[in-house]
Amino acid sequence: MKRLWPFALLVVLGALLFWGLRRGDPSALPSVLVGKPAPDFTLPTFAPYRAEWGERIQLSRYLGQKPILVNLWASWCVPCRDEAPMLEAAWRQYKDRLLILGVNVQDTNPGAALGFIQEFGLTFPSGIDENGRVWIDYGGYGVPETFLIGKDGKVLYRHAGPLDSATLQELLGKVL
Amino acid sequence: MRVEGIGSYAKQIFWRTTYGVRRIGALLLLLVSSFQLLALAQPAANTPPPDFPPQVFEIARELRCPVCQGESVAESNSGISLEMRRIIAEQLAQGKSKEEIKAYFVSRYGPWILYEPPRSGLTLWVWLAPLVGVALIGAGLYFYLQSARRRALETGAAEVSEEELRRAEAELDQS
Repeated sequence: MKRLWPFALLVVLGALLFWGLRRGDPSALPSVLVGKPAPDFTLPTFAPYRAEWGERIQLSRYLGQKPILVNLWASWCVPCRDEAPMLEAAWRQYKDRLLILGVNVQDTNPGAALGFIQEFGLTFPSGIDENGRVWIDYGGYGVPETFLIGKDGKVLYRHAGPLDSATLQELLGKVL
Repeated sequence: MRVEGIGSYAKQIFWRTTYGVRRIGALLLLLVSSFQLLALAQPAANTPPPDFPPQVFEIARELRCPVCQGESVAESNSGISLEMRRIIAEQLAQGKSKEEIKAYFVSRYGPWILYEPPRSGLTLWVWLAPLVGVALIGAGLYFYLQSARRRALETGAAEVSEEELRRAEAELDQS
């Protein structure tokens, strides 16, 4: 009986490790905002969108009409370059049923951000989070990050890190 | 019995006190003193840049810089940490308390933003686990050493050979 003790301990430790490994993605930090009303923001709009969206873009003006996909991006962010064409394609396909709103964060060079928009020919509107307060309000800790806001104005989901097309389709499937 | 001065006497005492159960005490002492050494090895906290009053840094030290690895908002020079310090300064100027300001960031980031996990609820275990671990190791050592000593006492006496006994008696006769 006494000999079985170390063995039992080993089994318990092994089970604990197995459970830890199968707990799902440890890097997926769930946002505390999920289920809460999306924090409002008003941001200066990038020059190409001013004619259509105005000098400043305010989130609360669009809440409650359509689901909104808020994408936080930066021009220096490499995975954002993979995301941009996918977001643009989704915008062109669903723009009557969904609003995609870009928020440029942590970009010290507005010229580079504008270059990014032009390089990918992005037609969905983006605003500049100049002091990073929107980023803090949304609990951001890296770029890219994507928030899905339901038609009721509440945050449905936060995806931290780059979106792949399957994840994007899954997100869109929740609201369309 | 021959005593070769204080050196060997001290040695005897040393070996006797570190024997058996009392060995745990020495081990624990070693453990504690190594922790103290570790604490000494840590660099002194950075002196705050002169952009904000020290109260700001007192709060910032308890918040995690969201974009850094292992840096608090007080230490980091990233843009977001600077902005967070600015928010802390603004809220202090509005008369908000330290707990209110921390709650402001927790409502955005969750308890993850706190550099030290709260000492309640599930995260209390983070604080208790090391103590539980040390207690378990101590108990394990205690029982192991006790049984080892018992075994040594039971078998040790019987295993002294005739020749060894004769030699020991001869040495005693000499002194």
